Amino acid sequence: MSNSNQWISALKGIIGEPNVIQDPDRLKAYAVDGLAPKAVVIPGSVEEVSRLLAYAYLEKLAVVPRGNGTKMAAGGIPLKVDLVLSMLRINRITEHDIPNLSLSVEAGITLAEVQKKLVATGKGSFLPLDPPYSEQATIGGIIATNSSGPRRYLYSSARDLLLGLKAVSPNGDVVAFGGKTVKNVSGYDMTKLMIGSWGALGVITEITTKLLPLPEASATLLASFGDLAKAGSLTRKILHSVLLPSAMELMDGKAADRLGEKARYLVAFSLEGVGEAVERQVAEIGELAKREGAVDTKVLKGEDDRTFWIRVRDFALASVGARLIAPLPVILRSNVVISKLPEILGRYETMARDAGIGCALIGHAGNGILTSYILDYGAAKMGPVVDLIGKFTDEAAKHEGNLIVESSPRDLKERVSVWGRPRSDDVVMRRLKETVDPGGILNPGRFVGGV
Amino acid sequence: MEKDTMIGELVRLVGRENVLSSDMHFKLYEYDASLIRSKPDCIVLPTSTEQVSKVVKFAHDHKIPVIARGAGTNLSGGSVTVRGGIAIVLTKMNRILDMDIENLRVVVEPGVVTLDLKNVLARHGYLYQPDPASEKVTTIGGNFAENSGGPHCLKYGVTSNHVLGVELVLYDGQVVQVGGKALDNPGYDLMGVLGGSEGTLGIITQAVLRIMPKAEAVKTMLCIYNSIEEGGNTVTAIIGEGIIPATLEMMDNLTIKAVEEAYHVGFPTDAAAILIIELDGLKDGMERLTERILDICRQNNVREIRVAKDQAERDKIWAGRKGAFGAVGRLRPNYLVNDGTVPRTRLPETLAKVVEIGKKYNLPIANVFHAGDGNLHPLILFDERDKDELARVHAAAMEIMKLCVDMGGTISGEHGIGVEKIEGMSLIFSDSDIAAMKKVKAAFDPLNLFNPGKVLPETEKAA
Repeated sequence: MSNSNQWISALKGIIGEPNVIQDPDRLKAYAVDGLAPKAVVIPGSVEEVSRLLAYAYLEKLAVVPRGNGTKMAAGGIPLKVDLVLSMLRINRITEHDIPNLSLSVEAGITLAEVQKKLVATGKGSFLPLDPPYSEQATIGGIIATNSSGPRRYLYSSARDLLLGLKAVSPNGDVVAFGGKTVKNVSGYDMTKLMIGSWGALGVITEITTKLLPLPEASATLLASFGDLAKAGSLTRKILHSVLLPSAMELMDGKAADRLGEKARYLVAFSLEGVGEAVERQVAEIGELAKREGAVDTKVLKGEDDRTFWIRVRDFALASVGARLIAPLPVILRSNVVISKLPEILGRYETMARDAGIGCALIGHAGNGILTSYILDYGAAKMGPVVDLIGKFTDEAAKHEGNLIVESSPRDLKERVSVWGRPRSDDVVMRRLKETVDPGGILNPGRFVGGV
Repeated sequence: MEKDTMIGELVRLVGRENVLSSDMHFKLYEYDASLIRSKPDCIVLPTSTEQVSKVVKFAHDHKIPVIARGAGTNLSGGSVTVRGGIAIVLTKMNRILDMDIENLRVVVEPGVVTLDLKNVLARHGYLYQPDPASEKVTTIGGNFAENSGGPHCLKYGVTSNHVLGVELVLYDGQVVQVGGKALDNPGYDLMGVLGGSEGTLGIITQAVLRIMPKAEAVKTMLCIYNSIEEGGNTVTAIIGEGIIPATLEMMDNLTIKAVEEAYHVGFPTDAAAILIIELDGLKDGMERLTERILDICRQNNVREIRVAKDQAERDKIWAGRKGAFGAVGRLRPNYLVNDGTVPRTRLPETLAKVVEIGKKYNLPIANVFHAGDGNLHPLILFDERDKDELARVHAAAMEIMKLCVDMGGTISGEHGIGVEKIEGMSLIFSDSDIAAMKKVKAAFDPLNLFNPGKVLPETEKAA
C-alpha cells in the first residue's frame, strides 16, 4: 500500500481538493469509536463514488460510508478506518412519478426533506418510514441500516417498500437492481439484500420506493394502565382484531414519564386513514381499553398527535418542556415473538430495577421489537450494564429472538456482542461478505460477519 | 457417476419407496408448465430435512446437479432438469408443523399446497395473503422460490413479503436457519435474496409464514368495458387518485369468452374488457371509497358495473379470474405466457402495442393481467407441432419483453426467469449487475449444483 499522503493526493485527483477533508481537528468529528479517519471524501456524483471505491479497492483502504452520522454509535468497533465517504452531496430527487406513486432519490437527501416535497406535490403523498432522528437521517443511512419506527406496524419496513436500488460495489462497479414496477422477479432480489447491509456489500447511491397517499385523517389514543398484564391483554386483542392502527406502542412508566405522560404503563395507538375509520377506531379502542382496565384514556389530535410520535421516534433525544435532555448513549434493541413482548417488557423492567439501572422500555407491540434506553449510563455503571445486556439477551433468545446494541460508547462495545448471539446462517453471511468484498474494504468490523 | 450406481446410492440414503427411476417417471418429471423439457437422471421424494440434507451432500460430493421441485407448475422452465441430475420432489414434505396463531405465524414444510394452508387458516379466521392463481395446486416451497404474486399483492405484497424464515439446506448438506418467527434478525437479509432465487441458492425444508386476521369487510366489483383502453385508463386513474384497492385485475375479450365457455361464471362475452376491483379493510368509509371508484369507472365510460352481493357472487367472479389460464389453454394446443411488468401508468399504451405484436406475428394473444401492478400476462396461443408458428411465438415473446423494458418495466413480474427468459436478462441488467448476482450465487453455491442453467446467463456479453 502506498503511504497516506500518496493516496490522499490520488483521491484529490478524483474529486477535487475542496472535497477532501484532511485537517486533523475536523477529522475528529468523523471518528468512529474513537478512530479518526485519515481523510473524509465528499464525492459529488455516483461516478466519483465509483472511482473512489475502485481506488480504495486496489489500495485496500478501509472505507466507512456516512450520511448525517446518526448511526455512528452503532455497529461493532471498526477494524480500521482510512476513509469516511460522505454521501451528503449526492442528494437529488431523481424522479417523482406521481401517478405511479413511486419516487427515486439519492442517498444523501434527508427523509425530512423528502417528506416535505411529497406533502407539497400534487394531492400529497408520503414515504411511510418513521425511523429515529428522521429530521437528520439520510435516506441512504436509513436504508443501509434498515432503520424503522412505530408505524411499521401498518406500513411495514423498507424491505416491503423499496422497488429498486442503485449502489457501487466494493470494486467500484456501479450496479442497479429492481426498478420502478411494484412487482419484479427478474434476477435475484438484490435490493432486499442491500437493505440493512450496513454498507458492507456496497455503497447505496439511490433508491426507488413506493409511496402512499396521505391519510385523510389521523389521531392518537393513549391508554394508561396500572397493571402490565392488562395493557398486554389490550395489545393482544387489537393484534387479533380487524382494527388497523398504524402504530401500537407499549411502554413502561419511565418511558411515559420522559414523554411527559403519567402512567405506570402506557399503550399508544396511532390511527390513520379515512375519517370514518379513524373516528371509529379511536372510540372502539378507547372502550376496549376501559373494559381491559385502563386507568385513563386520552385522545391527541392535530399538532399534539404529530409531536407525540416525533418524540417517541426520537426518544433518545426527547425533551420534556423546555429542558433538552442529552441523547442517551446506550440503546438496546431486542426482537422476540410478538405475543411475548408485554411479558418480556415486564421481565426487563424487573431486571433493570434489580441491577439498579435506570432503563426506559418501549415496544412495537405489533411487531415484537423492544427498545431499551439506558437512562443513567456512566463509567461506574458499565459492569452492571454488561451483565444486564447478557440477561436481556438470554431472555430474548428464550422467545426466538436476539438483542443488538443499537448505540453504545466504545468501552461498552469492547465487553459485549454488539450483534447479539451468533446464528446458524452466519456461515453464509461470512462467505457472502468474503465473496463480494474480498479485500474487506467496506466498513470492516462494523457488521455481522465483518471480515 | 454411472446412473445405476447413483440410483443405488440414493435408494440407500432415502429408501426404495422414495426413489423413482423408471422411464415413465422420467417422462412425468421432464416438464413443467413452460415449453421446456429435459429428463432428470433420478427422482427422489424425501420425507424429512435430514433426507434432503443427505441427498444434497451426496450430490455435492459427486458434483451432480440437484433441483428442488414442488407441483411442477413453473411457467419459465424453473423446475426442469436442463442439466440432468437429481430432481428432489418435496411433495411428501407437506405437513403444517406449527399453527402459532398467537404470534401470527405458521411453520410449514415446502410441499404444503398453498390453498390447503389457506383453507385451514380460514377455519381459524386468519389469512395467508399471497394468492397465485394456481394456488389450488402450487406449493409454498415453489411460491417462495419463484416469489409468486397473485391478485392481492397489489395491496399486500408478494410471497417474499410474507415468508419470514426458512430452514435451508446449503450446498454441502449443512442445515441452517435463516430469519425466523421474530422480525429483524441481525445480519444480512438472506431471506430477501432467497425469495425468488428459483432454487439456485439452496433448498428450503421449512418456512415460517406471516398470517393476519381476516379483514372486516370486502367489496368486489366487476366493471365491464367496451374498450380495453378505457379499462386500462380506469386503472391508472384509480391509482392516480391515491386509491390502492386490494386488487385491480383485468382480462380481454378472448379471455372472457374462453372463461365463460369453460366455467359459465356470467361474464359478458361481448365485452372488450372486464376489470375486477376488490376493496378490503374496515367497513367504515368503504361505501364512500366505492362511490369514488365507481365515479372514476363512469368517467372512463364503463358499460356496466356489478357489485357482488355476497360471498357466492364474489367466489364466482374469482373462479373466473383464477381459471383464466386453464380456460385459455382449451383454445389451442399450447400457450406461452409472458409476465413482463411495466409502471402501471404505462399500461394502456403497452397493451395497445401487445395487440400490434400479435397482429405482426399472426398469433392470437389472450390478455389477463394484474393491472394495478402493471403486470401483463399475454397468453400467446399456438400449436407447438407447427415449427414455423413456434418460431414466431418465441420472436413475439422476445418482442413483448423488449417492449416492457422500453416502457420502463421489467421482463418478469412473478413467473421467474428460469430458462425461458434468461436471454432477456441482458435487456435490463448490465454485466456488472449480473456479476454482482453471480457473487451471491457463488457464496451460496460455489460448485453451481443448485438448479444450474437458470436465472443468470452463463456467458457475459462481450465487453
